Amino acid sequence: MLDRPAPDNLGRAGSFRGTAPGGPMAEPRTLLALKGVSKSFGATRVLEGIDLAVEDGEFITILGPSGSGKTTILRLIGGFTQPDQGEILLDGRDIAHDPINRRPFNTVFQDYALFPHMTVAGNVGYGLKVRGRRSAEIEKRVKETLDLVQLGNFRDRYPAQLSGGQKQRVALARAIICEPRLILLDEPLAALDVELRKQMQQFLKVIHREIKTTFLFVTHDQEEAIAMADRICVMNYGKVLQLGSPTEVYYRPHSEFVARFFGDNNLIEGKLAKTDGNRRFVETSIGALPCILDDTPEQLAAPTGGRAFAVIRPEAIRIDTGHGWPARSVDVIVSGAVTSVDFGGASTVAQVEAVGVDGAVPLRVKLPSRVDGLPIRPGDRVRLGWQAADCRMVTG
Amino acid sequence: MAAASPAAGIDWDRLWRGLAVVVAYGLPVFFILLPLGTFLVYSLFWVEGTQMHYELTLVNYKRFFTEQIYIPVLRQTIVLCLEVAALGIAFGYPVAHFLSSLRGRKKYTLLMLLLVPLLMSYIIKMYAIRAILGGTGFLNRALLALHILDKPSDFFVFNLNAILLTQTVLLLPFAILPIFLSLERIPKSLMDASADLGAANWQSFARVTLPLSLPGVVSAAVFVFVLAIGDFLTPQMVGGQNGFTFGRIIYSQFGFAYNWPFGAALSVILAALVIVAIAIGVRFGGRRAGVA
Repeated sequence: MLDRPAPDNLGRAGSFRGTAPGGPMAEPRTLLALKGVSKSFGATRVLEGIDLAVEDGEFITILGPSGSGKTTILRLIGGFTQPDQGEILLDGRDIAHDPINRRPFNTVFQDYALFPHMTVAGNVGYGLKVRGRRSAEIEKRVKETLDLVQLGNFRDRYPAQLSGGQKQRVALARAIICEPRLILLDEPLAALDVELRKQMQQFLKVIHREIKTTFLFVTHDQEEAIAMADRICVMNYGKVLQLGSPTEVYYRPHSEFVARFFGDNNLIEGKLAKTDGNRRFVETSIGALPCILDDTPEQLAAPTGGRAFAVIRPEAIRIDTGHGWPARSVDVIVSGAVTSVDFGGASTVAQVEAVGVDGAVPLRVKLPSRVDGLPIRPGDRVRLGWQAADCRMVTG
Repeated sequence: MAAASPAAGIDWDRLWRGLAVVVAYGLPVFFILLPLGTFLVYSLFWVEGTQMHYELTLVNYKRFFTEQIYIPVLRQTIVLCLEVAALGIAFGYPVAHFLSSLRGRKKYTLLMLLLVPLLMSYIIKMYAIRAILGGTGFLNRALLALHILDKPSDFFVFNLNAILLTQTVLLLPFAILPIFLSLERIPKSLMDASADLGAANWQSFARVTLPLSLPGVVSAAVFVFVLAIGDFLTPQMVGGQNGFTFGRIIYSQFGFAYNWPFGAALSVILAALVIVAIAIGVRFGGRRAGVA
């Protein structure tokens, strides 16, 4: 049914991220672009002026809390719903109102949506069958695809006879057998337990590398997004807040929301003060803290005296128990009192009440755990230090 | 009520639970199994003139199998009721499908409207249908007005066709409901998945919706068949001389012939048939229905 060029003609080999084998094409090619896409359900504005470009071959994750509009983006691309405004461009052509079955995308649904009355082979071969492919070809491709997802021995089982992880892989196989330009994954790991989730994350990455198709993965789980994505698109309230590599959104948040969203960050509230080269100071109750600027529009436009936060990750803070600073020197030093020490496996988290001239700020410090325990106890007086390079600022 | 009364030394809790068990098992036994058992026993007696003989014999069953009239009428009745079931599904499926494609309040309002006839008296509905089907009825007049017929036809009344049409109309809600419920149980995401994998709407229907709604179709068929085969009133009222069904024979044995044992034997045979139909329904209708 779908007239698509053979996979080799898609020109994705040259544009695949980081592994460009031939040619000087370092510039990634845009596969799909959302331009000014808005969507409301009744009086509720779900998406507002979304601009997003998906690069050919990448693994892009849309990350946001529930109600942020991330699933709606996926459903718009898949064709399950239409935008009120804006365009969805595939190779430059607007497909926003094309029917679902005419789009060269396939979806892995959150509840898998396997057909209960068909075997694993029947489910996986469905996309080829409705396109009228010959049964010999379907059989061969189903076998190859099931081998790829390591379910070769399960072809005659029914979905009700499979575990969650197996269903997941059937759903994936059913999508990739159609050779889509883009695979849409709607929180596919949400129903799995932690251990299986980790395995499936790795598995999905392996499959992505193997078939070199673009993956668009929707999740509300920050760790999952960081572990899997080439790029993360952080959303909230129907808007894209930040788009960048996992390290960018993790270490260089552009907004208070993003800074808070990635785990147990330290946000120290204060007022914006002077700029000094590529640093800007945030006046807080524990002193003027230097923060590195990324020259984002938000940072450049922020007026002096405005509300802002100095952002420092817990693992970037060093702790001095009276033996001097380990390893490298620090630019900022504050003193405080340990309020709690919590062992958490690989790392131990200490809560420290940092005291300055104008008040106290609770800071979280994450340290590698040690078999004999860390030499700090609640109540200890300590000094905390960090490098200015580890500190960012966001406006609030 | 469950409050214990220690002074009296009676365990009210246990008493109530015991009573509930007696009622739960007692009512079906008393109102269903006992009458059925009575029938079974009666079917083994025999009648001579107006005299009942309370001796056990298989003569009634022998009569059913040996006399020329009963088996053909039973076969004719079964065919008729299968036709009613088939027509019921042919009309009921599109209606059920349309209903389940609606959203929210509209869906349930329309469903209620379709079920309203069930609350009306059977007799009134039948008279109404007879008025429509009769020689000067609405159907004939409409066909005359459209010049499809030149004179009123008696094709629609007092024969098997009349029974077929009337029973189909009367039992249609019983066909719609199980099919509607089975369609409602199909997750919406399966339709999304089917379209997502490239299927056109008719392909999604043929490969996903229809197979998954088959249990409902089987239930509907069994429902309609069982209700139609047990019905003697409709054939009695719209069947006339030619529309003779098994139900009417049984009725006549109790009414005019005054041969209760033979009527009971025929009823037992009919009950056996119904049980087989229901067993088929359970076997094919219940299976897979729970798989999601």
